Amino acid sequence: MKAVIIGNGAASLAAIRSFRKYDKKSSITVISKEGGNAYSRVLLPYVLRGKLSYEKLFLPFSDKLDSLGVTYIEDEVLSVDDAESVLKLGKHGDLFYDTLLIASGSKALWPPIKGICQPGIYHLWTINDLNRLQIEFSEKKEVVIIGSGFVSLQAAWAACSRGLKVTLIEIADRLMPLVLDVRGSGLMAEQMSKFGVNVYTSTITEEISKREDGKFFILLRDKENILADFIIVGAGVGANIDFLKDSAIEFARTIPVDNYMLTNVLNVFAAGDVAAGPSVFGDEHVTHALWPTAVEMGKIAGANMAGQNIRYDGSLNMNVTQMFDVTVASMGKFNDADIDDYYVYDAESGKGYCKLCYKDGLIVGICLVGTSEAVSLLGKLRPIIRNRLAVKLPPAKLDAFLNVRFFQK
Amino acid sequence: MKVITLDTSKCVGCRNCELACAFINSKETCERKFSMIRVNHYIEEHAVIPMTCLHCEDPWCMAVCPSGAITRDPETNAVIIQDEKCAGCKMCILACPYGNIHFDAELMVSHKCNLCEGNPRCVGHCISGALNFEEIEDFNERSRKKVDLEISKYMKQTCKTQEVDSNGK
Repeated sequence: MKAVIIGNGAASLAAIRSFRKYDKKSSITVISKEGGNAYSRVLLPYVLRGKLSYEKLFLPFSDKLDSLGVTYIEDEVLSVDDAESVLKLGKHGDLFYDTLLIASGSKALWPPIKGICQPGIYHLWTINDLNRLQIEFSEKKEVVIIGSGFVSLQAAWAACSRGLKVTLIEIADRLMPLVLDVRGSGLMAEQMSKFGVNVYTSTITEEISKREDGKFFILLRDKENILADFIIVGAGVGANIDFLKDSAIEFARTIPVDNYMLTNVLNVFAAGDVAAGPSVFGDEHVTHALWPTAVEMGKIAGANMAGQNIRYDGSLNMNVTQMFDVTVASMGKFNDADIDDYYVYDAESGKGYCKLCYKDGLIVGICLVGTSEAVSLLGKLRPIIRNRLAVKLPPAKLDAFLNVRFFQK
Repeated sequence: MKVITLDTSKCVGCRNCELACAFINSKETCERKFSMIRVNHYIEEHAVIPMTCLHCEDPWCMAVCPSGAITRDPETNAVIIQDEKCAGCKMCILACPYGNIHFDAELMVSHKCNLCEGNPRCVGHCISGALNFEEIEDFNERSRKKVDLEISKYMKQTCKTQEVDSNGK
């Protein structure tokens, strides 16, 4: 059998290892458009901050694909002929497959702002972006960051730690809506201000232009304009699926897959940022574009490509990082519209701001702006949320319950 | 394969294990924040539970680590975190369903039990025999014997009742 994987990231590597667990013989071919060894996009901000050295970016096994019996091709997939099971590649011609995994990941998007596409304006998404930003970071003094997602805030933290003057512009009325609830966002904004970051929320960027002295001039609607030496943009991601245009593989913004990571075509799987799979909350097709989800999906897809029949229980969104001296983490549902009850731990619990969220009597999520100790509570809650276990206990007693539960048969 | 086993019915909550662990990890102090094993006290529930890494067969922390800092030691079979590779992102803490990974706020890296390279100090300093470092087979053997004993007690009980019943007729 001939297995082919498009992409060389978290989902792809997880799939390779899981495939090899069940099938030691079949050939695996990995096609990477970006080229080079597989690395972790999650870690780019850490390298930029100086916390990790450059070579730590690369994933384990990324340089050992040979030993896993993988043929590695650096090329672009132009199209998929699903009727004949053939990929058309840019330089390498046609490539036949018996089973295909699409794990081509996502790319950072440019928001519709006049003048956004010019030298000196970056994403923080690829190793290339990192290399160019490293130069800017060491030579320049003022940075403007547009967008307030997870990556943007980590970029802000990196710039702040390296002594740059940072201004953050967010179009919505609060920071990180996908990671924090309203109060958490507010606390994060306060914390950033303490570190000297200028945070602008509800702010629309009208136009960016370059002045003669090389500085960027950023025109804001109804606010005073600002200047910057360079700009980092984090305005969401889009799946790399252009090559699916002429195939019968169904897709919208991402590719819908079932609990077995199978697309609508029988021998084509999808995993990671390109896939929209089931969630633990019963949604049929959700794309998280998160690292842990990519690993889980890749693992399932790899096993099923090797002939197994393993069902995915659904993904559970989870985020965590440390920035501006606080730990930010969340899991499941935590926005007011998705929950009907909540509990906020008091100061004595030593957690910081930690909100436990309920819906129909079940714990459905949690979000945290606080201490690293509190993160372990999120870990312990994961099986509770996943398996929809009802906990009939006051939240203050939850820690005890979770620790004792393990020993009760 | 040797593992640390916990018998919660024996634990007296002396927290010696924490002190021993803190000392071997910090090299200089017995401050509990340096300990990888944590004894949880629950007065109302009448429970004292020492918890440390279970070195899972299929560790989710290891699968999810974005920097590949978590590996399995081929000699001791321990799941270990390599400090120099850890980015400090805390994904593993979020992943562990037992809350057994901790954060070192000074080095800004995750920390966990590494089985002290095959000589776990927590077990050495346990005064009640709640913690043991033993072959998994020996542990299974003990569990089985315990269950056998329960069953035989139960059987005896039922036989007696039946005798009484039949005599009473």
